[in-house]
Amino acid sequence: MKAAIALAAALCGTPAFAGWEPTKPVEIVVAAGAGGASDQMARMMQAAIQKNNLMKQPMVVSLKGGASGAEALMYMKSSEGDPNKVLIAYSLIYMLPLSAKIPFNWRELTPVSVIALDQFVLWDNSAGPKTVKEFIDAAKAASSPFKMGGTGSKREDHVLTVFLEQKTGAKFSYLPYKSGGEAATQLVGNHTEANVNNPSENLEVWRAGQVRPLCVFDKERISYTSKVTDTQSWADIPTCKEQGVDVQYLMLRAMFLPGKVTAEQQAFYVELFHKVTQTTEYKDYMEKQALKPIFLTGKDMVQFLEEDDAINKSLMTEAGFVAK
Amino acid sequence: MSQTDLEIVVDDPTAPEDDSPAVVSSGSVEIVVCLLLLALAVTLGYDNWRTGASWDATGPEPGYFPFYLSIILGGGSLYGLIVALLARRAASGTFVTRAQARRVMAVFVPTLLFCLVTQFLGLYVASFLLIAGFMRLVGKIALWKSLLTALVFTAIMFVTFDIAFDVIMPKGPLEAAFGH
Amino acid sequence: MEALGLLLHGFAVLLTWKTLVLMMVGLVLGIFVGVLPGLGGPNGVAILLPLTFTMDPTSAIVMLSCIYWGALFGGAITSILFNIPGEAWSVATTFDGYPMAQQGRAAEALTAAFTSSFIGSLVAVLLITFLAPMISSFALKFGPPEFFAVYLLTFCSFVGLGREAKHKTVISMSLGLLLAGVGMDTVSGNLRMTFGSAELLRGINFLVAVIGLFGISEILLTMEERLALRGHAASISLRVVLGVWKDLPKYWVTLLRSSFIGCWLGITPGGAIAASFMGYNLAKRFSKDSESFGKGRIEGVFAPETAAHASGTSALLPMLALGIPGSGTAAILLGGLMVWGLNPGPLLFVEHKDFVWGLIASMYLGNVVGLVLVLTTVPIFASILRVPFAAVAPMIVVSCAIGAYAIQNAMFDIWLMLGFGVVGYVFKKIGIPLAPFTLALVLGNRAEDAFRLSMIGSGGKLGVFWSNGLVGSITTLAIVLLFWPVIDSVLGRVGLTQRTRTTSP
Repeated sequence: MKAAIALAAALCGTPAFAGWEPTKPVEIVVAAGAGGASDQMARMMQAAIQKNNLMKQPMVVSLKGGASGAEALMYMKSSEGDPNKVLIAYSLIYMLPLSAKIPFNWRELTPVSVIALDQFVLWDNSAGPKTVKEFIDAAKAASSPFKMGGTGSKREDHVLTVFLEQKTGAKFSYLPYKSGGEAATQLVGNHTEANVNNPSENLEVWRAGQVRPLCVFDKERISYTSKVTDTQSWADIPTCKEQGVDVQYLMLRAMFLPGKVTAEQQAFYVELFHKVTQTTEYKDYMEKQALKPIFLTGKDMVQFLEEDDAINKSLMTEAGFVAK
Repeated sequence: MSQTDLEIVVDDPTAPEDDSPAVVSSGSVEIVVCLLLLALAVTLGYDNWRTGASWDATGPEPGYFPFYLSIILGGGSLYGLIVALLARRAASGTFVTRAQARRVMAVFVPTLLFCLVTQFLGLYVASFLLIAGFMRLVGKIALWKSLLTALVFTAIMFVTFDIAFDVIMPKGPLEAAFGH
Repeated sequence: MEALGLLLHGFAVLLTWKTLVLMMVGLVLGIFVGVLPGLGGPNGVAILLPLTFTMDPTSAIVMLSCIYWGALFGGAITSILFNIPGEAWSVATTFDGYPMAQQGRAAEALTAAFTSSFIGSLVAVLLITFLAPMISSFALKFGPPEFFAVYLLTFCSFVGLGREAKHKTVISMSLGLLLAGVGMDTVSGNLRMTFGSAELLRGINFLVAVIGLFGISEILLTMEERLALRGHAASISLRVVLGVWKDLPKYWVTLLRSSFIGCWLGITPGGAIAASFMGYNLAKRFSKDSESFGKGRIEGVFAPETAAHASGTSALLPMLALGIPGSGTAAILLGGLMVWGLNPGPLLFVEHKDFVWGLIASMYLGNVVGLVLVLTTVPIFASILRVPFAAVAPMIVVSCAIGAYAIQNAMFDIWLMLGFGVVGYVFKKIGIPLAPFTLALVLGNRAEDAFRLSMIGSGGKLGVFWSNGLVGSITTLAIVLLFWPVIDSVLGRVGLTQRTRTTSP
């Protein structure tokens, strides 16, 4: 861990291109199933790198979504010293070790860069209540608890549901689906009353007018103002705080290398992903999926990770999701 | 290449089996299998009971189904055990004869070695050794044919998987020496 | 009719030399990845996906859908010739396809498999063409209870079928269900039955188990029985193909039933595997001569192949219309669409008409061209059987190992495969059936998840499985099928008594 921080510290200035290049195809490890947000992002990067000739070797997407993504974490952990694998990580790197006692610590990997932050939105069926207040009132008045769909158990979606309960006093029964896409269709089919999907997961059903965004779990509104549906843009969704429910959560999307790689190897990838964030493919993707752009590396990244880890840990503890 | 000079095994299932003594009877194997399954059922059952096998407010706990399944598996194998023990007194069929066992081992042992070699020297070296060795020693095919077939097959696999499709196979020191 | 006009427009877009060449290239590549065990449909398409990044969306999707067709056709080849199913839904094809190959009827089995793939896919494409809007709303009706009911139906259609001793079927199925549960439990997020091992965390991969149970154990058995892979008797000619086709009308009930099952389960995501098993089981159950199934009956190839491919094809519909992939391969195609900036969802049919109908038209063309291509190459595939066994056996072992490893890049899986090979050998010898085991291993987890989600949703009330007409009728049908032997004998007795009455003076 100290080594990783030292490496990162050494690189905190402008990362110089140090001359190392991969000689084998680079595996981009996705800790989720096919078609999910991580997979889509990985394929966007694969396409961006290939179309703009950012790297000589090809990039291969390798899906390791087994055991809710734990497979990918263990795979990275066991690939120590191998500079041809990059993990596209999200909040599971903090949560899985807590909820399922997976012997994994993100500090054993080499941080490369944080490339985006993902939002969470409270959605309901377009036939359901129109505002957060009406929704909460309806949930309280319902004879059996409202069903809230989400991805996985004891993860970000589940934590958000527990916090909604705590802040509003309404009761929900949480249904853990295998993917955000499934949670989206189940909401459209009226099998659940609401979900807390990422914007990208509900985008298409929103555009088709089948679901309604109630509020976004962030301090400020999403910045994209171009119309997504006939009448609304991402920026038109109020924050939950505006609507009287003070719950906030953002999820990182970050790249990691396995532990014990050299500084040159790390520098190569920092440079590579920095170039990726300059491409039009990346920019279009960010806007379309309503992701918050960010690029952190070196010391800033480690500091961000430490703070983020602390927040997630306290949320998990409060929600009672930490395994004994 | 004519077919006949390469044919190494009798391909007629009705060919008379050589008179070979039985190594073990089906009944005994069934008893062993049932005992093993019973042991597995007890182990898994215990683990699931520890994980939580009751029915709480939100439906069954993670260990609920596996726990009862291990009981079913245990019951099934116990029943199988009793049936096999009772049937043992009656004449029980042959599980495998000595000649058969020898032939099975002739393919199983190389496969086992192949897995072992793959672990340490990588898949391509192991597959070359397996194909060449098996063709020569078991199939009694001419050495040059065996070596050539093994080399060509392994090379095709290597080009297909590691070069054309970027599917990375386990590799050892030999490939490393060539920079892969 | 609007659909027809759009479809014709789609054909017009496609019928250029460039697209036809791309189509052929895609099909050949597809068959190739389909035949290589371990690559198979989803991996093959995933690997070839980057090839299409530089093309325009229509050419790219034509190429990809042809790779998909090719892989579907190719998967049947290894199942029949070597008893190694490349895909989960090819398992049921091995039940009768492999015995046929052993009896020297490999060409017949392959022809049957390709033809029924063609028929199944064609029915599904027709369905997609004319019923797209209606079907996507039907798929939305499926919540957890409905999914569970479908899985229950699949399991129930299986129980009581085998000739083996009942307790052996019970052992086989419960063992499969148990092993399916190893790893992380999605509903609670807890680990179970891993005993602290990082290797078991992933769970036991179905394909690894199948490669061992079927591929490796078959090599052991073949050696023991002194059987070579017998290719001599297989006379491969146009006559065989025409012979199979001439008999086709005789099996119209099986073909129709399997197509129906396939389409129905294909649009309810995740159904292709269930479809192939259910197609096979029902064909067996309703056959007058169910004893001969599993011994090389051509109907046993028609039924699962038609169902699997009807389902594999109709799985593209929920992918396009709802963005939920119905199969692994469909999921990869979904990723491809997004790369080209096409977002699958309800609006795709409105906003990108050209693309959607181009894709549907390419399904028709790819299917026809693919059938011709595989049929003309049957002799090449069947000639593999003439190679001496001492050369083929180690090559199969190597292919199995590559396949087992490629799925998750794990050396542990090669050992697991070997272990399952031994288990498969012993189980076959003492008469523990493998089919219930594999079915349980594939569907066990999904069935359990669906059940537990239903329970959370309903607050623990079992009544949820009869809460509406759809789920109620599927559940009831499942229970009827479970007790079918009893019901059948009761009905038979009634029928018998009536017959005796009428014949008596």
